[in-house]
Amino acid sequence: MENKFRILVCVKQVPDANALVYLNDGIPEYDEKTVYVINRYDEYALEEALQLKDCGLTSYIHAVSVGPHRVQKALRRSLEMGVDEAFCIQSDDDRLHNPYVIAQAITQFAQQNYDIIFTGVMSEDAMNQQTGQLIAAMLGYKHATGVTELSLNNTTITITRELDAQESQMYELPIPCVISVQSSIHKPRYPSLSNVLRARKQEIAIIKHDLITSTGKTKSYFTMPQKTTQCQFIEGSISQKVTELYTILHKNAVL
Amino acid sequence: MSILIIADVKNRTINPSTLEMLSAAKKIAKNNTMPIYILIPFGNIGGDSYCSSEFKTFILDLNIEQYSAHVLVKYISSVIREVNASYIIGMHTPFSIDYIPALSVSINAQCITQIHSLDVAERITVTRGSHAGKLDHHIVINDTPIILTVLPGSFEPYTITDVQTQHITTIHIPEVNKHIYCNFITKDMKDTSLDEADVIVGAGKGIGSRENLSLIYEFAKVFPHSAVAGSRIVCDYGWLPYSKQIGITGKSIAPKVYIACAISGSSQHVAGIKGAKTIIAINKDPCAPIFNVSHYAVVADIFEFIPQFIDFVQNNA
Repeated sequence: MENKFRILVCVKQVPDANALVYLNDGIPEYDEKTVYVINRYDEYALEEALQLKDCGLTSYIHAVSVGPHRVQKALRRSLEMGVDEAFCIQSDDDRLHNPYVIAQAITQFAQQNYDIIFTGVMSEDAMNQQTGQLIAAMLGYKHATGVTELSLNNTTITITRELDAQESQMYELPIPCVISVQSSIHKPRYPSLSNVLRARKQEIAIIKHDLITSTGKTKSYFTMPQKTTQCQFIEGSISQKVTELYTILHKNAVL
Repeated sequence: MSILIIADVKNRTINPSTLEMLSAAKKIAKNNTMPIYILIPFGNIGGDSYCSSEFKTFILDLNIEQYSAHVLVKYISSVIREVNASYIIGMHTPFSIDYIPALSVSINAQCITQIHSLDVAERITVTRGSHAGKLDHHIVINDTPIILTVLPGSFEPYTITDVQTQHITTIHIPEVNKHIYCNFITKDMKDTSLDEADVIVGAGKGIGSRENLSLIYEFAKVFPHSAVAGSRIVCDYGWLPYSKQIGITGKSIAPKVYIACAISGSSQHVAGIKGAKTIIAINKDPCAPIFNVSHYAVVADIFEFIPQFIDFVQNNA
């Protein structure tokens, strides 16, 4: 195969799973001790791009992230994993944004420079599951989501995408395209020491960008989650909890 | 002003959860002042029974094997314009989520995904989990059109009583690129343990390692007809095979009792456990979102609680 592909990986930085979020006057705020990491699904997207690089199929891999200054840490990690260059679309607004706004910012950045754009299937915090599809629609590219396997041909990619535990779809996409990978694809690598040292010296390009936060079409507010069940908390010491749960399971005729 | 429901597909036929969207639409339509349309995206998925005098049904004259997000967006957008749809409702499943958000660019409307409830007052408010399920995000809709995707299991399925095929209109698709060919691959699922079990014990990321799964297996063994399953991440780590994964991208379960062990309870996982009669969650984090959908909550470290529970059963059985 002669073609070498220009690749962009969209990386989101998210609070780790243990992060505490509280409402301050109705506005969500994370605890100041919050640790931010690369969105788990985007690590799989990075890995997929790097797999192509390992096969000598890429001319370059860029990583891009939208967010405040702190997202550079996620980009640094992307460089350590092996991407060639990193770009930060910096906006000081630290809230969770409408995916349309994020997709617009990435689309503007990605205009015509890439053959394949990778994203994770969703972000762990917002779980919108639409940024990849929106970027594709805005650029006029084809796309596929939940991708678990891909193989490159000269001008197309054959993808397999997961529908559920039992069923998947397989078809060809023309290049350029946007691919949102599912986590059952290749396991993300740990950065090698040489890549960590290389990444330390690399510059992260910063692009200032003002995100349009409200379209006026919707208004929103946050609350603690509503309970959909009447949940009975089993109280007491561990041994009291054990006895109580045993009684409940016995009543439910499974013990 | 109208409501357009886009039927979901599962196993190459209409996903019966499509009827849940109909309930959501009925709620939005208030006193039936807004007409409801159902769009069946393919002609060969058995859409003929999804029609009645209550609403009009459109079927796109495409085969499921001609699946292409691009083609669907093109033709569904024109149906949206034709029926002047204010609310476009799709299912939040891997099948539908592939193309529904892309409609938002072609019809210039916002798409709100994974909603689990909606409230109808002067304005319509939809609610989705946010911040990894730790908060609810309520969105008040001030302007339409708007696109919504509904989390499976969030609304009661609507019953269509009078199937009347004269309310179906087939939309002819002029020409579709002949190169489009979508292959459907079905894995042979010999493993039916999750379908047959009375009790399913689910393992989450909080179990910490593959080795600790043995504790979950021992726990499950306490129950006569039981099986072990896990959340997506546990399968991603390779601790359990994907055939044991519960959630939107895995299996939906309906045992007598589901016991979630060290599972935080993402909406993706929760959508797969709605069928369980009783849900019990054991988690050391008292704020874990899983407790919002559980019937019984045990706030405890599984490594402390489960061994004691096993001992207790063995001494009392």
